[in-house]
Amino acid sequence: MISLEDLLKSEMVNQADLVQLRGQRRRLITCTVKNGVINDFSNISLSGGSARVFVDGRSWGFSSTNLLNPENVKQMLRQSLKLSKASLKLKHKKLTLKPIPIVNRNESTPTRKPLQDFSMEEIAEIPLEAYRGAKDLGEYVADIKATFIAIEDDRLFLSSEGSRIHQSNTRVLLFIDVLAKRNSLFCPASENLGHTGGMELFDETSPYSLGKSVAEKAIRLLDAKTPPAGKFHVVVDPTLCATMLHEAIGHPLEADLAMSSGGFGNQMGELVSSELMTIYDDGHTLGGLGYFIFDDEGVECKRTYLIENGVLTSFMHDRTSAACADVSPTGNAHAWDYSVEPLIRQTNIGIEAGDFSLEDMIEGVKEGLFLEGTFGGQADANADFTFGFQSASRIRKGRFVEDYRGANVAGNAIEVFKTIDAVGKGVVLRPGACGKSQFALQGRAVPAIRCEMMVGGTGGH
Amino acid sequence: MELDWSFLGNAVHKVVRKLEKKNLTHVEAFYTYTKTTEVTIRNSEVLTQNRMDDSGVGFRIAVSGSKVGFACTNVMEEEAILEAGENALAIAKVSPEIPNFTLPQGRSPPKVKGLFDPAVAAIDIGEAVDAANRAIIAAEGFDKRVIAKDGRFLYESGWRGIINTQGVDFEERGTRVVAYLGGSGKQNGEVTGSCYYLILGRTADLEPERLGETVGKKVINMLNPRRLESFQGSVIFSSEAVSYQLFEVLTEALKGDAVFAGSSVWAGKLSQSVASKILTVVDDALIGGGFASRSFDGEGCASHKTPLITKGKLAGYLHDATSANVLETRNSGNASRFPGGFDMIRSIIGEGYRTRPEIYPSNLTIQPGNSTKDELITEIRKGILVESMAGFPQAGSGVISTQLSQAFFIKNGEIINPVKNGMVSGVAFDWFKKISQVSNDSKQFPNAIVPSLLVEDVKIIGT
Repeated sequence: MISLEDLLKSEMVNQADLVQLRGQRRRLITCTVKNGVINDFSNISLSGGSARVFVDGRSWGFSSTNLLNPENVKQMLRQSLKLSKASLKLKHKKLTLKPIPIVNRNESTPTRKPLQDFSMEEIAEIPLEAYRGAKDLGEYVADIKATFIAIEDDRLFLSSEGSRIHQSNTRVLLFIDVLAKRNSLFCPASENLGHTGGMELFDETSPYSLGKSVAEKAIRLLDAKTPPAGKFHVVVDPTLCATMLHEAIGHPLEADLAMSSGGFGNQMGELVSSELMTIYDDGHTLGGLGYFIFDDEGVECKRTYLIENGVLTSFMHDRTSAACADVSPTGNAHAWDYSVEPLIRQTNIGIEAGDFSLEDMIEGVKEGLFLEGTFGGQADANADFTFGFQSASRIRKGRFVEDYRGANVAGNAIEVFKTIDAVGKGVVLRPGACGKSQFALQGRAVPAIRCEMMVGGTGGH
Repeated sequence: MELDWSFLGNAVHKVVRKLEKKNLTHVEAFYTYTKTTEVTIRNSEVLTQNRMDDSGVGFRIAVSGSKVGFACTNVMEEEAILEAGENALAIAKVSPEIPNFTLPQGRSPPKVKGLFDPAVAAIDIGEAVDAANRAIIAAEGFDKRVIAKDGRFLYESGWRGIINTQGVDFEERGTRVVAYLGGSGKQNGEVTGSCYYLILGRTADLEPERLGETVGKKVINMLNPRRLESFQGSVIFSSEAVSYQLFEVLTEALKGDAVFAGSSVWAGKLSQSVASKILTVVDDALIGGGFASRSFDGEGCASHKTPLITKGKLAGYLHDATSANVLETRNSGNASRFPGGFDMIRSIIGEGYRTRPEIYPSNLTIQPGNSTKDELITEIRKGILVESMAGFPQAGSGVISTQLSQAFFIKNGEIINPVKNGMVSGVAFDWFKKISQVSNDSKQFPNAIVPSLLVEDVKIIGT
């Protein structure tokens, strides 16, 4: 990556207000076991670089390449300058990016069990064990898919302002999907583990036990009814809460979305949620899949409080949106890899713990549902959402009376979060992912919550 | 910054010849070069201009019959390419067997027209910015309440090549263009949800005005939505809704590997009735200028047109070489290196040379009917028109219970009002049986060319 450092000395740099250069090496190991067979075992090596330039206080240009020879990286910078100038005639408003601390840092993730200490055979055993855990539950387990992924990143950030940041980290994940089948009835269940760190991920939860628990759930659901439809008082477990928080509250708190489309726009300093809600984004949450010390503009990813006791206190910003809003950037400019431009992204979004145990939350429900697990979903920038849950239980007078299979919940998250009347005291750090134009892995630190929500069940009332 | 394509082809061929000398069953190398020019739109403005160049090669190697490994690299030096091949071999050696694994034989692929437009390959950034800006002006000029929120004009041009030790050795050049615009509307302090439109093609003539006006019209139609009562009624799923949730369910049930794994609801149901007699579905990679058309698939199998559902009866499945081998049937050429849909694992790994192929439709095509979508509306006594739904289906079971992000209440053959916060709920496999009409206005999506479908007796949930 030396050629990038030389590039900063080029005269072309003077044509821009700011030049940001990134270089990256990424190695991915993936191993997927489907129904006992390793059907994908891959070793992926990628490297490349990008140049991003800001010209005349108005316009960005970005160019990336995987061919990192000296001539090519020069061409990459030249290209980004040409691109940046292409929309100047359309842009009239000038922006002054706020200065940020200039740093020279080397950062690497704390890792107890490094990936390189494991042989390919030992790596293959991880999804195979998860498969066996599920398979051992017998004949109703129709389809099992277990995938192990390790991502090792080595990233360099250089800017014409003088920052030089080298960050390396490892992320390890395990995904398990099980489909239980009886006659013509299919019931899916899934679970993921993932963190920034090494193979110590499996010290607490073994792949076998995880596979077993997912299969147990899928089989249990074969005997469950379809859930009812309508509006309910619900207790939402941390896994589903993580999806809701990220999609339906987190996205509208991203400055680029907030400024364009209702949601939380223009409500800074106002009560926008239940007073029990304190929500933050924190790149420094150890172990979170969105663990970053600095973002891809060289801004530190410290904890930013977004909503405090229900009051909107900040959006998540990159340097451009921060300049538009006249605030400091919050370290939320992240690119999935060298090949794409940074966008405003969450790192590890979290809800601060409340006072309720899960039992207390359930006891307080006269007639309602306990919703567990997630099949993901999506939300509009105005906070309208639809998410799948994996299973549910009917609560009557504070007790579980009946189990249901999964379906979807829907509504407007801002409205739903106003109805939160209890927040759990146990916060769980969940792995998460997001596909806002480009992919990202992120963390979510979430408790259970209790609120009112619409359930789109397929059964009767 | 351009990669010399013949350099990459030669280097890959050399490495394959070196690997062949080792004791192995199959070698396959898939290699690509792509350059992408992109303009993004945010909040009524052109936001950024980007250019991404990428090239790489992925190897699948089988040893001792069917122990398979995959590795790839984007370092375009012969030594690094050889190292990727050797990594694939090392993995293959520690992998258990994939029963019946095979690769296609080399058979000359057909010629497919309209896959490459030199104007896309040579697109100037100024033209791209101009097109994006015209779309913004058209959307916001349609009505002053419309805001062009986000968008993307993407011009992609490149090559893909594949070699295997069964005689496959093909290359193809192609271009693709994607124009997307999302908008919302503001009236009396209330903001509509996002309304978007997508134009996909192979040529540079994009019609940005049509894109902008369509979005503008969609946004204005969504103003003043009203809540729904729950009822059981007729639903028109417009081509957008069909191309997403219903497409996913259909695809999952038709995948050859899901059939032999037993996870497809349609396993063992060939020639049985699985849908309304009015439904005919084919997979067609040969359509001239089709967005997912190609002369050979991601394993080098020559492209076909494959009947999947004929007048409601299951006529075939989607196969790659291995699934066709297992089920002892013809390979339909559906090994894809660029499968669609959301898959977390694939999102992490990436597409193209970075991944082993998986079974996915090329252009999944529903045969159009005779009436326009507007004519279908006139036939409904009480129901809704669903322009788009949010949320994922449970693809295996076919359960869809999802929010109506853009829908209209219909009574006595007329649209009465846009719908606020409703849902539809049911099992898509039941809906396929209750299709009463198919419209004649099909639209191209990334892996589908589909019209609107009128489905009877669907559960609609109000608030």
